[in-house]
Amino acid sequence: MFSLAVKSVKHNPKRLVLTAVAVALGVALASATFTLTNALSGGFHQLFDEIYSGTDVIVEEAPSDTDEDGDQFAAGESVFSKADLAAVQEVDGVASAVGGIQVMGAVLAKDFEPTGDLMAAGGAPSQLFNWAGDPRIDQSTLVEGRGPGADDEMVLDLDAAPRLGYAIGDQVSVATETGVTELELVGLVRFGESNSLQGATLGYMTEATAAELSGSEGYQNINVIVADGADKDEVAEAVSTVIPEGTRAITGEDKAAEQAEQLDELLQYIDIFAIAFALIALFVGSYIIVNTFRIIVTQRTREFGLLRAIGVSGRQLRTMILLEAVVIAVVASTAGILVGYLGALGLSALVEALSGNIFGTVTLPIDALLWGYALGALVTLVAALMPAIHASTISPMEALRESATESKKPLRLRNIVGGALAFLGVLAIVVGLYMDVPRPYVYVGAGAMVLIIGVTLLAAQVLVPLAYGLKSLLTRIFRVDGKLAANNIRREPRRSANTAAALMIGVMLLALVSTFTESLKSVVTDQFASSDADFFVLSTQGAIPAGAIETLEAQDGVDFVTTLSVDPAQLDGVAYSVATIDPETATAAFDYNTDPELTDLDGGVFIDPVIQELGIEVGDDLTLEGSEGSVTLEVTGLYLNEGDANFWVDEAAGAQLFGDFEILQAMVVLDDAVDPAAAQDQLAEALAADYPLVVLQAPDELAQFANQFIDLLLGVISAMLGAALIIAVLGVANTLLLSVTERTREIGLLRAVGVRRRSVRRMIRIESLVMAIFGTVLGMILGVGLGVALVKALEEFGFSSVAIPWTWLGIYVVLAIIAGVVAAMSPARRAAKLDILEAIAFDG
Amino acid sequence: MTTTVTLAASMRGGTKDYGHGDAAVRALDGIDVDIAAAEFTAIMGPSGSGKSTLLHTLAGLDRLTAGESWIGEQQISSLSEDKITQVRRDKIGFVFQAFNLIPSLTARENITLPLDISGRDIDPAWFDEIIGILGLADRLTHLPAELSGGQQQRVAVARALVARPELIFADEPSGNLDSRSGAELLGFMRRAVKEFGQTIAMVTHDPSAASYADRVLFLADGRIVDEMREPTADRVLDRMKQMGH
Repeated sequence: MFSLAVKSVKHNPKRLVLTAVAVALGVALASATFTLTNALSGGFHQLFDEIYSGTDVIVEEAPSDTDEDGDQFAAGESVFSKADLAAVQEVDGVASAVGGIQVMGAVLAKDFEPTGDLMAAGGAPSQLFNWAGDPRIDQSTLVEGRGPGADDEMVLDLDAAPRLGYAIGDQVSVATETGVTELELVGLVRFGESNSLQGATLGYMTEATAAELSGSEGYQNINVIVADGADKDEVAEAVSTVIPEGTRAITGEDKAAEQAEQLDELLQYIDIFAIAFALIALFVGSYIIVNTFRIIVTQRTREFGLLRAIGVSGRQLRTMILLEAVVIAVVASTAGILVGYLGALGLSALVEALSGNIFGTVTLPIDALLWGYALGALVTLVAALMPAIHASTISPMEALRESATESKKPLRLRNIVGGALAFLGVLAIVVGLYMDVPRPYVYVGAGAMVLIIGVTLLAAQVLVPLAYGLKSLLTRIFRVDGKLAANNIRREPRRSANTAAALMIGVMLLALVSTFTESLKSVVTDQFASSDADFFVLSTQGAIPAGAIETLEAQDGVDFVTTLSVDPAQLDGVAYSVATIDPETATAAFDYNTDPELTDLDGGVFIDPVIQELGIEVGDDLTLEGSEGSVTLEVTGLYLNEGDANFWVDEAAGAQLFGDFEILQAMVVLDDAVDPAAAQDQLAEALAADYPLVVLQAPDELAQFANQFIDLLLGVISAMLGAALIIAVLGVANTLLLSVTERTREIGLLRAVGVRRRSVRRMIRIESLVMAIFGTVLGMILGVGLGVALVKALEEFGFSSVAIPWTWLGIYVVLAIIAGVVAAMSPARRAAKLDILEAIAFDG
Repeated sequence: MTTTVTLAASMRGGTKDYGHGDAAVRALDGIDVDIAAAEFTAIMGPSGSGKSTLLHTLAGLDRLTAGESWIGEQQISSLSEDKITQVRRDKIGFVFQAFNLIPSLTARENITLPLDISGRDIDPAWFDEIIGILGLADRLTHLPAELSGGQQQRVAVARALVARPELIFADEPSGNLDSRSGAELLGFMRRAVKEFGQTIAMVTHDPSAASYADRVLFLADGRIVDEMREPTADRVLDRMKQMGH
């Protein structure tokens, strides 16, 4: 049976090419992502190894639950005093121990001009440390000049210096929380073996300068080199006994492994994201496979009948078709994996050219192979199952029939099943969105899937009257070509419906995402528009320096500046976020969604829906534990949006909890008489000198900026869905091609009675267009419907209104028309090219 | 009817209806028939006489509405579909009017297909003998699309013979061939009966094709109306004329 299956695939590969391409595209998506994340993981493993390879033991703040997924590059708290360092140096087996200080700040390019653009100073961060002079601790080796000896000197890594425009002897501008400091560049260093910094800037200065710029006395960590022959683990153990509570000693190897593990966990999410999109693409692809196999089974009815007559059992026949599916799956998956790998190679080369080498060696990971084959085989087999079962029921008598035609089964069963599935799907979505159930996304996801299948089944029924209705319209516009096209769609409603449904899924997801993002944009725009603040103050790197706020407050025309900080604190041992604001100025500058107004905070605390669900009510007392102390507050009101911060307290409570809190965001309100446009330049200039990284944004600029990000998100998702859409268009083309083959005789007859080539072409094109537009419209209805339901369900996250993305919907329709025309090109050409005599003699 | 010879197939009270109610058509109307082993039997009749239905039900391709039928000693009318498939596989060979060959397999692969399916070994001497008689030796590696109509039908006969079935059913085997190729094919079939003792039952409406048989059964309106031994084309034609054909 296997050899028969292989020969059958080999004998007529053309009809399977598009099927294989569909599978390959989906697999390629997964394969490319796996290859890239694997390379990324490799690159960072190497980086972590280099960072921690020199240091034998690292003493640092113990990771807590609150900041486990914190920024890899952020500087920690200064938890070690000089006495702690001295104690570590005394431990047996410690050859040397050096305190480490990381400075929060950025090295500015030589020609840096503050433009007020949020993106200008962004990009890879600067890493600034104190210089120990020992390569094992610094992880860097001097390659030119000398190390920083005086307090007004520094070194940079050998790639960063030319990139930022500095040469040895230049004065380097370093922007920190305390302002801009000028340091003389005295040397260049190479990080590790190959200076692979993933695009970051690395700099070192003296300990005194680092301490001054970071504004702290102590050290964030202590790097230990053990004596010759001492066991690192034992030294780490011994060091643990002398360091403060809440800190730990860990060997360099363990630290590197730990960091790599954390990163891999993060990359895993990217993989899952990619698999989700690959599954969508393959789900769409499965529609093509179902259609292809269905048509192939129909076309080979006589062959199967003959096999049944000479003694092949129905079961063997089914096995044979499934084996054919396996052959296709293996070929297509292999191609997909390779294409994905090559795509990943190309992409990594592109990224390397644009922003430096962040990837390790790009190799084909075993994950890509396993997932590629698994996904490809699974989808192909599942999709081929129904047609295979259908083939196994072909009676040997079919071999003796003259022509091969699909038996006309009524659509009733299909409609009943479809209606039931659609109903169940909607029910599951409603339950998931509006009822209080665990894991609501499972209900929504499964519901959407079931709804899609249900609608696909029902679409066949809709297509019949639709084609009937369209018939007179198409006949009027295109005359006989239109009439024939309408008849053809009606003739095989199942096939047409499946084809349209493949497109429907892709368009549905696009419409869903664009409805969601459009609503998100309108929420963002509304929020900024309702603000009374004239400017938002943001920092492009880290927190906003307190000095910057003072500078702004001192300017003429500024009425007041209000700040917002968000810090972690614990309630009953569980970590939550706490926002610290000044109620009076905050309310005056921004329309917070609270009950009552924030001005009624009254030294108490407002709680958000998450905390309300814990059963805490207005009037209750609760105790928060911050980094600096704990405070008991009365709940005086509710913060109504979910997802911003769990608790809202005033600055007095914030100071008790967190001491010096870092300012995340500030708002400037001007005197009434002042023109904001003129004031913006004045304020920006005042900030430029000392705080070049602080940026002023008018509310509409900020809304625009936020919306750019949302558009970017929509773009990324659309691109990922692109694979699914290409597959859907291939599906339309494939169905038409196969149906042209099937209708060879009929088309020959049409040509024989005088229908012109052009008319045949147009007939096919109209069929294609009707299917494409039908699928697109169905997809838009479903997508917008699901999007609206989703937005409604997220009301408590601040989604106040639903926005329908009319522009996008219009674009989708235009794209559908183009897709319809493109999909019809090859089938139409083939149909028009048919030789009349051969076509009539054609033995199906 | 002779009862002294071994029977390759037989039917008693065979009735076959198609459709239901007003649209019902009785294709076979209580047929009793015996196909003797090692004989070449032709079944003749005008279109709509039920001759193809008789062949299909005898071969187990289609089921009787009423009555019983046997392949050798095996009663097949009450067997399950799987069992009937097995009987076809092990005991019966087929030659159809057209579409006899799997398009993706070569001539050789098509010929050995029944053996491959049932997992039996090929008898090389027997294979070579058949190929030699049918003149297919230089055509074995060709695909069906590369063979002439006559060659295709000879491959089909070779396939039917190679598994040494108890009985070969042929449905208008020469119907699509020109007269010379048709005569050649029927000559081969007659040789198979005479030289190897093969049993063949053939449906045809062509008197000259029927003349190759040992015995001709005449069907009309779903009943057997006559039979003729040692037929010639002229005698068969005369008999057909009497039947109003």
